[in-house]
Amino acid sequence: MAIVDALKDLFPGGWPWQRGAPKYCRPIPLIFSRFREVLKANNRALELIADMGEKLSGDYLFDQRYVHTTVEELIQAMHEAVAALNNLTEDRWTALVEILAELEARVRTIVTGRDDREGPALLWLTDIQSHHWPLVGGKAAHISELCQSPQTQVPEGFVITTRSFHDLLDANGLREDFARFEQLMADGQVDEEPLEALRAALEQKVQQAQPPPDLIAALTAMVERLQEAVGAGAAPLFLAVRSSAQEEDMDFSFAGQFRSVLQVPAQPAAIFQAYLQVVASLFGAKAVRYRRQVFPEGGPLSIAACCQRMISAKASGIIYTEDPMTPGSRDMLVVGAFGQGQAVVEGQLPTDFFRLAKGEPPQLLDATIARKEEALMGVADADGGLATVKVTAAQAQEPCLAEAKLLELAGIASRLETLFKRPQDIEWTVDTADTLYILQARPLLLREAGQERKPLSEKLADYPLIATAQGRVAQQGIGAGPVCLVETLADLKTFPEGAVLVSHRDSSQFVQVMQRAAAIVTEVGTPVSHMATLCREFRVPCLVGVPEIFGKVIAGEEITVDADDRRIYRGRVVELLTYQAATAMNVQMAPEFRVLRRILRTVSRLHLVDPLMQDFRPEGCKTFHDMLRFIHETAVLTLVDIGRDEECVSGGKVARHLDLPIPAGILVIDIGGGLAPDAPADHVPYSAVRSLPFRAILQGMLFPEVWHRAAMPVSFRDMMHSMLTAPQDALSGQYTGHNIAIISDTYVNLCFRFGYHFNIIDAFCHEVERDNHIYFRFLGGATDIAKRSRRATLIATILEAFDFSVRTRGDLVIARTSNLVQSEMERSLDILGRLVGFTRQLDVQMTDEAAVERYAEAFLMGDYGIVAREG
Amino acid sequence: MSDKVKRLLVIDDEPIVGKRLQQVFSKIGFEVETYTEPVAAMAAMAAHPFDIVVTDLKMEGMDGLEVLRQAKAMNPAARVIIITGYASPDTAELAQQQGVFAFLAKPFRLDELKQVIFRALEELEAGQ
Repeated sequence: MAIVDALKDLFPGGWPWQRGAPKYCRPIPLIFSRFREVLKANNRALELIADMGEKLSGDYLFDQRYVHTTVEELIQAMHEAVAALNNLTEDRWTALVEILAELEARVRTIVTGRDDREGPALLWLTDIQSHHWPLVGGKAAHISELCQSPQTQVPEGFVITTRSFHDLLDANGLREDFARFEQLMADGQVDEEPLEALRAALEQKVQQAQPPPDLIAALTAMVERLQEAVGAGAAPLFLAVRSSAQEEDMDFSFAGQFRSVLQVPAQPAAIFQAYLQVVASLFGAKAVRYRRQVFPEGGPLSIAACCQRMISAKASGIIYTEDPMTPGSRDMLVVGAFGQGQAVVEGQLPTDFFRLAKGEPPQLLDATIARKEEALMGVADADGGLATVKVTAAQAQEPCLAEAKLLELAGIASRLETLFKRPQDIEWTVDTADTLYILQARPLLLREAGQERKPLSEKLADYPLIATAQGRVAQQGIGAGPVCLVETLADLKTFPEGAVLVSHRDSSQFVQVMQRAAAIVTEVGTPVSHMATLCREFRVPCLVGVPEIFGKVIAGEEITVDADDRRIYRGRVVELLTYQAATAMNVQMAPEFRVLRRILRTVSRLHLVDPLMQDFRPEGCKTFHDMLRFIHETAVLTLVDIGRDEECVSGGKVARHLDLPIPAGILVIDIGGGLAPDAPADHVPYSAVRSLPFRAILQGMLFPEVWHRAAMPVSFRDMMHSMLTAPQDALSGQYTGHNIAIISDTYVNLCFRFGYHFNIIDAFCHEVERDNHIYFRFLGGATDIAKRSRRATLIATILEAFDFSVRTRGDLVIARTSNLVQSEMERSLDILGRLVGFTRQLDVQMTDEAAVERYAEAFLMGDYGIVAREG
Repeated sequence: MSDKVKRLLVIDDEPIVGKRLQQVFSKIGFEVETYTEPVAAMAAMAAHPFDIVVTDLKMEGMDGLEVLRQAKAMNPAARVIIITGYASPDTAELAQQQGVFAFLAKPFRLDELKQVIFRALEELEAGQ
């Protein structure tokens, strides 16, 4: 059983309550106070992470000083959280200390700008994860994202990372020159001459550099992997070696500034030579001039090289997802020619020109076919390279792409535009087998129409406003599209490409459609929710807390969301969309944003979601957030176990019976403000419960008809089953008959054990909605697994209907919700209370699949009497 | 608000500040000039006065209080907003005495600054 395994992992030395002979009980108030220390440190760290995330929305003005001080505070809070947990558990989790040290070092590497130096020398394209982005450079990062996009074919390959760049500098004694070069570049008033001399020297020295140790061996292994991926017996393999400068979002601005070497024979020595050309171009006169003009404060730059299989191209070209001449026209432009795309990009040969209308499906509007007498083709001999070859007279008149292929290309391009949230400039190629490949995608820079000096605000005055100055910015940006109203999570399944998601409340489940969404607007929610964090990751413009927006828009109508200025317009506001695409110096590229974004990637992602998974252990923590999750869960488990331990709890004055009109048999442990100060020492009445979340649950349990009193008729087989399985149920020994609620004014941790099932509700609820959470776990039962699983399905169905995110596995259900305002928290907890009562012994009645639906329907309709009627 | 072009001067030694405010306020119709060096900013103000000045407090060469004093000397109607990560009560009081329009602690929401600036504009217009 998964939970048993997981708990065993959590307590490698054996169950804490079974370990060691004489029972040693620490004073419970001491344990409580230590528990609260853990919560305090944890919350402090989580608040700082949320705060940094919020700054990334673009809605704030922050500076480097903010980044540095916040990171220091966060590291401090992390140390405190680890210390507090070890204090609570008597040093059972010292492993966390080392893990924190490692993560802390990684964060400091980012803050000091050294994160392009540490990591693998080479990376296979599809192995690239977002934390690798500083290592692989912008172009390769984009290409690795393309690999994740379904229906997009990308040629296989690997990246020679910026770590190799630094190795190359060190191995060839170029470190000092490089440092001096960057120093001169950073100085706005530098003399031209010394900079020019240094630049030229570096360019030349790099061209003659020797490979750093192990690079050739690593290249050999990658080439072998590539051969394997392509398959034996294929034509001789050649590579395209392209520059990929370090800054992920800046890359597009460097278009054409650095070298690319095409048709490189797939041999390590040849690849290394091509790589040197790419690296040397970082110091090329053209690139240096450009950098000084465009990114004077850009900071040091390193370079990676993306090495991909050359496609034996029948035709290649470019597609723009917007016409730069008439922005907002919804036209796409395709330019193409036979053979390799280099000729198209550099305008060397005549090209075909196509205009298409965006849409589902796209439409070909107009085609201008050039007479293409030549094509650029790869040379398949030992030296490789490209050569211009003659095209037959008949073929020269043909379009380079058939209409069907054009439409396929337009469809893929549209999806990439929605994925990257900006108009795209995409390089494509079609091979001799007619397979369409995407080689590169970068933001298309548009210019605002003409020299018109009319301010944007005047142009916008004519558009009808749906909302203005309402809500909060979760992620800045501008997005337009048809409205898709999302009422339940099921609506996400039919979410159209490029639509604007409008919903009553926010949900991290929206992540399913973020790649396809143009913008998100919700009526409630906060800029620090999980959803907001995800919006920032996917760069979906997002406004939260816009009152009554749901009623102000109609499904399918086009709206434009300006999440910079908190305005929502009816219709498609072309001027705003153009403005967005034309703003070349996007704020997200500023060094402060880049550093903060990288830090958050290392800090705020949550991999360790499920305490039941094998990796829920210190070694599984990949981020600060993982550690905090682990610390919190472990602290709660520690507290719960101590609370459950009869020897420590009973006899003490800590656990008190709760007197309810229903026989729920709950023992209450108050850790602060959970009960009225004058509550009796035992047999506490419901009226004395002050804990907000606990009261809400009890209210649900006490709702008329929810708590069916009659015991379910357990069949002989069910009975035998429970008797046979119970002793092997490792959980059965621990909770000797008691249901225990650990409560404070704002917290409840409620463990139920009814009829051999095990149910935890853990909830925190107060006026700050971002702190609020509900965690619900349900497992087991007395009957056979089929019936238990049906009950699990029933519970999952009901919880999903109430907007919990739910996971089930066999008879285990885990449901979560968070970030709700207090009133919604109370409502959800009330529902959970009803559910606990309603499904208490229901597994017995789950005789067939139809029962699941019948009971779910009844619950949702408020017909709780069904259990007694049918039972 | 009147149709007169609204001119905004931004001074902060961290370039991101000027860059962000330039972007945000030109989008809504302001004419924005940004400086990382207060001395140069004051020279610009001497050449062509600004009605609204947003300045950092701690900068090399000249601090925000000095910017406030000089800006007020050049244009007594100018509304000066100081943005800072470090405001101590003493500095705040000193700035109040010298007629600062508002203090904003960094980091702040751009919308907060917008509201402050709109308020300053209203005051300016009411005073004219």
